[in-house]
Amino acid sequence: MTTTAKIAWTGISKRFGAQVVLDGLDLAVAPGRSLALLGRSGQGKSVTLKLALGLMKPDAGQVLLDGVDVTRQSEAERRASFRGIGMLFQGGALFDSLPVWENVAFRLINADGVGRAEARERAVEALSLVKLAPEVADRYPSELSGGMQKRAGLARAIVGTPSLLFFDEPTTGLDPITAGAINELIRDRVTSLGCTAVSITHDMASARTIADELAMLDNGRIVWRGRADELDHADHPLVRAFVTGQSME
Amino acid sequence: MGLFSTNPVAALGRATLEGVAAIGRVGLFAARGISAALSPPWYPRQIIAQFASVGFLSLPVVGLTAWFTGAALALNIYSGGDRFNAETVLPQIVALGITRELGPVLAALMLAGRVASAMASEIGAMRATEQIDAMVTLSTDPRRYLIAPRLIAATISLPLLTLITDIIGVAGGMQVSNYLIDLSPGIYIANTMDFLTAWDVESGLIKSAVFGFIIGLMGCYHGDSAKGGARGVGRATTSAMVSAAVLILAADYLLTSVFALK
Amino acid sequence: MRASWAETIMGFAVLAFAALMLTYALGVSGLKHSSGTYEVSARFGEAGGIQPGAKITVSGVKVGSVSDVTIDPKTYLAVMHLSLSKDVKLPSDSTAKITSDGLLGGAHIALMPGGAEDDLKPGSEINNTQGAVDLFGLIGQFIRPQSGSPAASSADSAAKAPAAAASAAPKAAADLPEM
Ligand SMILES: Nc1ncnc2c1ncn2[C@@H]1O[C@H](COP(=O)(O)OP(=O)(O)OP(=O)(O)O)[C@@H](O)[C@H]1O
Ligand SMILES: [Mg+2]
Repeated sequence: MTTTAKIAWTGISKRFGAQVVLDGLDLAVAPGRSLALLGRSGQGKSVTLKLALGLMKPDAGQVLLDGVDVTRQSEAERRASFRGIGMLFQGGALFDSLPVWENVAFRLINADGVGRAEARERAVEALSLVKLAPEVADRYPSELSGGMQKRAGLARAIVGTPSLLFFDEPTTGLDPITAGAINELIRDRVTSLGCTAVSITHDMASARTIADELAMLDNGRIVWRGRADELDHADHPLVRAFVTGQSME
Repeated sequence: MGLFSTNPVAALGRATLEGVAAIGRVGLFAARGISAALSPPWYPRQIIAQFASVGFLSLPVVGLTAWFTGAALALNIYSGGDRFNAETVLPQIVALGITRELGPVLAALMLAGRVASAMASEIGAMRATEQIDAMVTLSTDPRRYLIAPRLIAATISLPLLTLITDIIGVAGGMQVSNYLIDLSPGIYIANTMDFLTAWDVESGLIKSAVFGFIIGLMGCYHGDSAKGGARGVGRATTSAMVSAAVLILAADYLLTSVFALK
Repeated sequence: MRASWAETIMGFAVLAFAALMLTYALGVSGLKHSSGTYEVSARFGEAGGIQPGAKITVSGVKVGSVSDVTIDPKTYLAVMHLSLSKDVKLPSDSTAKITSDGLLGGAHIALMPGGAEDDLKPGSEINNTQGAVDLFGLIGQFIRPQSGSPAASSADSAAKAPAAAASAAPKAAADLPEM
């Protein structure tokens, strides 16, 4: 690797009590590339993203963001570096005390000092990108369906055009048509805006659209990594099982 | 390894260490909360929203409590105090009791039930659903956005509520004395106003500012350290309320002794 | 913040009530110096629990209140400053008597109009007074008669016998600030 990776996990280990979740994970994503992180449920994909955001501390290893170790950063430094990062949480994590538009515009209003009128405009714009109508803007998260909440969370992640995007299962719970639109949106962020993206997904069709590269997480390590077009010829049994949708023996 | 599985001395030692560690955690949490409350950036909308929910919306419950307390106090002085002619100074005793002790303490206890628990469950739920993590990724410090406004609003609202309690408590006493001993409202108030000193009221307000801080702190601390989903949030809510109430009463005794000895 | 209307209205109602009560309180405590009253004084041998603010009646109807209670340092008599309504003109030989509504009721001052031609002037003094009846002293003497005449309810005799009951009240009040 000649250029510095946009984001790199090096030798990351993470344990919860006796349960070892990550065990010397190594993974790097180059700037302007889109990576899909695959893996069976409960293998630590969400934990991997949270470690990258410094929301959890690893037991060993480093997370390098533009070459800087975020695990040793102070909280204030980390918050500053978050200005270039957008994150969609698996559960949406919308603020249920705020209407949808204020959720989407949260960073603009509270960290970037954008006026409320302008912030609202940009929030409605972002909502239209995720196929949510402007009427939704004034509703509260509890009044939205699960898929709508997910898309509102997605709008919150992309507003303000951050250069590094993390999506935890962006299309789970969406119908194929809306899912397709979301896949296009993520793809577009990477190709036309030059963002770096790391997306967790269980949906292979989605993974092929979104990602330049794929990585399979299993037993705390990356067990396979390759380009989207290499998927069908992969000889790793777990990857094959993912592609064919059959259970492994 | 449970508390009872080893010898009692070790268990006692562990419990003590755990207690000391808890005090340390609360102290650290308080210090960080205060420093966030005292330095920019502030979030005025959040602060105003907290004033509305902590202060304004507590008015009905605090007002009712004050009225009944003032009325019951007057009744008690009338029926129990006649042993030493206390009913001749009924307005004065009600005024003293309300301003110095019952007003601040009862308003604080009502808020411990209404506000500390609500704060704990709200912040606990936000923790459980990753909203606090999300806030951090949106470059916003939850300590400034969530904790500081609550601490500020609770510390300032409670003295204001206590002032209302003082007034309504006296009104309750006045109403009871009016029908009980035919003491005219005018005389009742005149007696009260002549008798009360500024310090009677001020000392109550100083106490209630401390109580307000305790309420905000316990609500936020227990909410922030809630673990384990809905059950954890439920536990946090209860601990917030109980610990706030106990600390309020302890602080009341401490502050009152300081005031009495000064 | 999505508070219901009812809660908001209740909040304002409580605020309004407190504001009303406060205005009333400030109004009452300022009444002593209002222009609708005039001040006279009266000396009593025994104040008997009369506090500033106690009501003053004529034939049971309130006509004013006690604005101040002081002690005359020479004669040791209690000096009551009475604030009376301007509408009530009283003859100069009227009598002021400390009385109470019942055995344990609120002490007040009852005025009994005399028959003189001229009225009490503002700032003048009511000369005919009857101090507080020392009920407990009376009862005590009734049970254990002592030599001499029984206590009359005149200013002189009441002044000589410090009343146990009456002195208990101010003492209780003085103790309270330490609670
Ligand atoms: N805060 C936590 N405390 C304890 N254990 C945790 C915590 N967070 C995650 N884990 C454990 O770590 C493991 C990995 O969790 P993670 O959420 O990363 O799974 P995942 O790969 O994202 O699964 P899914 O595809 O179902 O979302 C799980 O076994 C989980 O029990
Ligand atoms: Mg996950």
